[in-house]
Amino acid sequence: MLDTIIAVDISGRHYEDNRYFMVSAAVALSYSEGNIRGIEGIHIIPFSSVKPPEVTDVVHMVEETVEGTGINGTVVAERGDMFNQPEDLVKQMFRVDFKYPESMAEKLGIEFAHHVSLSSRNLLLKQEVHEI
Amino acid sequence: MRYNSLSKAKCGFSMNDVILVQRTIPGSKERDNIRKLAELKELAFAAGYNVVDSLVQQHHPDRRFHIGKGKAEELAALVAEYHPLKMIFLNPLTITQVYNLSELCQCEVIDKFQLILEIFATRATTSRSKLQVELAKLEYELPRARKLVSLLKQEERPGFMGMGGYEDSYEQDLKKRISRIRKELKITIRSGATRRESRHEQGFSLISLAGYTNAGKSTLFNTLVSEDVESMDMLFTTLSPTTRSINISGRRALLTDTVGFIEDLPHFLVDAFRSTLEDVFFSDIILLVVDASDPADVIRKKLAVSHDIFWKQLENAVLITVFNKSDLVFPGELEAKIEALEYLSPNPVIVSAKESIGLDALKEVIHSNLPKWERFTISLPNSDEGMSILSWLMEQGIVHSTEYGEAIVVDAEARDSVMNRAKALARNISAA
Repeated sequence: MLDTIIAVDISGRHYEDNRYFMVSAAVALSYSEGNIRGIEGIHIIPFSSVKPPEVTDVVHMVEETVEGTGINGTVVAERGDMFNQPEDLVKQMFRVDFKYPESMAEKLGIEFAHHVSLSSRNLLLKQEVHEI
Repeated sequence: MRYNSLSKAKCGFSMNDVILVQRTIPGSKERDNIRKLAELKELAFAAGYNVVDSLVQQHHPDRRFHIGKGKAEELAALVAEYHPLKMIFLNPLTITQVYNLSELCQCEVIDKFQLILEIFATRATTSRSKLQVELAKLEYELPRARKLVSLLKQEERPGFMGMGGYEDSYEQDLKKRISRIRKELKITIRSGATRRESRHEQGFSLISLAGYTNAGKSTLFNTLVSEDVESMDMLFTTLSPTTRSINISGRRALLTDTVGFIEDLPHFLVDAFRSTLEDVFFSDIILLVVDASDPADVIRKKLAVSHDIFWKQLENAVLITVFNKSDLVFPGELEAKIEALEYLSPNPVIVSAKESIGLDALKEVIHSNLPKWERFTISLPNSDEGMSILSWLMEQGIVHSTEYGEAIVVDAEARDSVMNRAKALARNISAA
């Protein structure tokens, strides 16, 4: 049976240049029998705030990014991203199905989302264009 | 809350009596807490202790005693009643808490991690596992060394006329011993890697049994290799990996039984035992064994722990999830569990090692996931040289058929490298 998970990671949750400049990346993955079978879609959204983000802000950012993929599936995000709150509590904050990563496929999905959000943030901050 | 779990007569003390103590987090699941205490009991049993009583308190951690002061005094009264050898705490303790509790109760105090270390120490038989146990002990002791010395210093002054200082030298000594053991372990790990390479070269595929403690790995190992490796209803029966050769539909493989995982195993313990687990990490196939008779959420947790340990460690290994002890579960119930846990259980196979159920299906799944071998036909000269190549091929792969005529036509199956070498040898003989 083929299932879909949407792995989400947010980079830049630290104060820099008088603001919090964050990039949220959602990667939709299809998997079966614990192995990733394919990447169904990716969506990235940059967010900015002068105040440090709270759990409800993180939930909002994750939901908006996931919605952008246009794909339904269980949202997976790192425990640290949700301020180490118990899974049952975080589940109640989301309108969609949510869980912390358990399998290697889910951890790999999060790793993928992390690299996407980090490199996108770097690209947006540096805006460097290499002439060829 | 106090559980007088055993029907032991209070008048008959034994040398190995212990009292178990558990502090539960307010709001935590009762079922999880009971399971954790039962596991601690099993661990104490595996270490050769006799549990005379258990004390449970729902409380936020106390800085001085870990449990509340009133409960600590209750514990002291229990100690006076039973005179146990040790008190074993489920929760990790700080050195200050150990010091305060042992002062109050006049009894030795250890926590779950020290208990695990004790078990490992008694079970370690090879020089490598002994080194690993020593390393884990030292790593556990290191952050506590400075605090321990400062606590002891409250009562006495070190050195001549109390002017010396020994806390630095104690910590330095621990660090030196840790670095020495790490160097020695590196040498043994290297020799292990070399051994694995040579086994691959000899045509052996590597299969490992892994999983949570008491899942029935050793029983499955025995059933698959038909040998009598120690297997008992006890945690951590297998500490040193045991390897035997097995034949899977003509393919030769080495099956290794390894140490079981445990929930909440601290990283210093996982790292210290990494070279034991390397037998798992470098395998071609990992048989991840789970106890199918456990409730679904317990299996889920155990599988999650296993995935956590495998994360970033595996090198192209195929994971096969073996649901063992199927004879203890109703068929419909087991299928529902497997469906619910599909995301954590790649290649699920249902077996009962004890009742020898499902072993053919397991071997079939193993065979289909072994590293690919090529099937090829080769013509060898009908001479002494040709016969010696044929005998070498029989050792390295599977010879399906041979036709003897002017030449020997061989239908064989082997790794790429073996096939290419056989063809090159045959060409050289023909050219000569």
